[in-house]
Amino acid sequence: MATVTDLKITELKLSEAEGGKWGMVIDQDICTGCQACVAACAMENNVSFVGDVDSGYGRSMHWIRIERFWEGEYPEVKMTPNQPMMCQQCGSATCEPVCPAFATVHSQAEQLNLQVYNRCVGTRYCANNCPYQVRSFNWRDYERPEPLPNQLNPDVTVRTRGVMEKCTFCIQRIHKAQDNAKAEGREVVDGEFTTACAQACPASAITFGRVDDSESLVSQLIKHGHGVKHLEELGTLPNVTYFKGG
Amino acid sequence: MIKRLFDWLKQPLGLIAVGIVFLAVFSVAAYGLYTTQQSPAQPIQFPHKTHVAFGIQCLYCHPGAAKGPSAGIPSQAKCWACHQQIAKTQTSVLLAPLKEHVESGTPIEWVPVAQVPDFVQFNHRAHVAAGQNCENCHGDMTTQTIAENPQVFNMGFCLDCHIKSAGEDQAKLNKLADCGTCHY
Ligand code: HEC
Ligand code: HEC
Ligand code: HEC
Ligand code: HEC
Ligand code: HEC
Repeated sequence: MATVTDLKITELKLSEAEGGKWGMVIDQDICTGCQACVAACAMENNVSFVGDVDSGYGRSMHWIRIERFWEGEYPEVKMTPNQPMMCQQCGSATCEPVCPAFATVHSQAEQLNLQVYNRCVGTRYCANNCPYQVRSFNWRDYERPEPLPNQLNPDVTVRTRGVMEKCTFCIQRIHKAQDNAKAEGREVVDGEFTTACAQACPASAITFGRVDDSESLVSQLIKHGHGVKHLEELGTLPNVTYFKGG
Repeated sequence: MIKRLFDWLKQPLGLIAVGIVFLAVFSVAAYGLYTTQQSPAQPIQFPHKTHVAFGIQCLYCHPGAAKGPSAGIPSQAKCWACHQQIAKTQTSVLLAPLKEHVESGTPIEWVPVAQVPDFVQFNHRAHVAAGQNCENCHGDMTTQTIAENPQVFNMGFCLDCHIKSAGEDQAKLNKLADCGTCHY
């Protein structure tokens, strides 16, 4: 329970920390819950298929999932809008300070939460401390029968057993776009590239871009809408903004 | 118990035993080191020395280095463009496998030597564009017959140069020393 003093500490942090670099806007009103983002994310980021047995133990692996909630009492149940949930790339992340191996660190260059797989020893403290519950753990070396290995993305490390993983805001695409832009001697243009989930979304409910650039589409959307950031009151400084009901 | 062991080791027989054990461990270690210093068995004994000495640019055969993450190994079509016209191609034993591959149209399966693990993302383009020479990382290829890796691409090797080239520029240091630059 947040006491008055707790809230003060939160406010202090909010004013001190600088804003993020990359951000996302999700419009829940146009999300149809079709799961295309979930599939696209798994393809892009080599996320393993866990299978039904391990899923039953709550060990399913997703970097993005569609959350649904129900409101009211039977028979008057109403479903709330679909809520795609992924790593919020917090500016003041709760997962980072609890890692005893410094495997999840904050990127100074990209202002993202990094997960350094080769550094990870699998204590799972980070997942337990994540208020969004968006981290997934490789409980096993999940099988990829032929010809599935052929569709692995070479730009993303294939994780093995005992390693934590989570959404990276498709950092490989960020690097590729930056590298392309540098090769052509220009800056990355807004909308030049996007994350796999945003690219796959048939309703364009997901928008990705620079939140530190006031001209970018995400910044414009954030400025003109009444978005919420989930669990912002915890002081995590999330970088994903949700729009709902309007 | 330990004292008895020491007493036994001090007599001549014991000293010889110690010597034999030491020699065995040393020679295994030396052999292990030796095997890491060898270039692998390649399908064709391709001599970099000869080709670079003709003044062929590295980027002629490894054009990817200037354009993208991986430098690439030339296909036999590129070899054949020259070797078709060289008399020695018909006679040299070293070139017989090349002729075979060209005639059958099968790819040459080179054994990779310069490699970083899967969890490291390396990009040639950025380095070549920043003016880094191939020799800085691959050693002097003009003296090598079959390509070998002169240094282990460990993290210190990368970071030493990154920190040095960033210098006083804090933003550049943030970028070049960031875990997310190489690991994702
Ligand atoms: C005539 C074409 C040609 C030229 C010119 C050439 N290379 Fe190569 N290079 C090859 C071939 C073929 C291989 C694969 C055979 C091997 O590994 O020995 C190779 C392999 C390599 C490798 C090892 C890659 C690996 O992991 O297998 C490196 C490093 C390399 N070259 C660097 C250079 C540099 C630096 C230069 C310029 C000084 C250069 N090469 C010039 C054809 C060429
Ligand atoms: C720019 C032209 C050129 C290209 C491209 C080229 N070579 Fe050569 N290569 C030569 C010349 C010239 C010689 C020296 C022939 C001589 O000694 O008379 C040679 C020699 C060799 C030899 C040594 C032959 C011997 O008996 O000493 C080998 C092996 C060889 N090349 C393999 C290759 C392979 C494999 C490729 C493709 C990756 C390749 N070369 C590409 C020009 C070329
Ligand atoms: C900053 C250090 C660095 C420089 C400079 C550099 N390389 Fe590399 N090179 C590497 C590393 C590291 C790898 C291993 C890459 C991997 O495993 O993905 C590599 C791999 C290679 C390979 C074999 C695998 C591949 O990528 O296809 C070739 C061929 C090669 N380099 C050629 C060159 C040439 C030619 C140049 C100069 C134009 C050059 N390199 C400059 C570090 C360097
Ligand atoms: C000889 C010096 C040197 C070595 C060794 C070196 N680098 Fe670099 N690297 C640089 C320089 C300089 C830059 C900055 C290029 C720029 O400013 O665009 C750079 C940039 C990079 C980038 C960022 C590219 C981008 O998107 O801007 C990556 C990734 C990278 N290096 C990976 C590696 C890895 C992995 C290794 C070790 C295998 C390595 N480097 C070894 C000099 C080096
Ligand atoms: C310039 C590129 C670069 C940067 C930046 C970098 N690394 Fe590495 N790292 C490497 C390379 C290359 C290796 C592979 C070493 C090898 O093959 O022995 C490596 C290996 C490792 C390993 C050993 C893994 C193993 O199983 O052997 C760990 C742990 C690691 N890095 C953690 C980190 C962390 C944490 C950071 C951020 C503070 C970081 N690295 C930043 C290039 C980099």
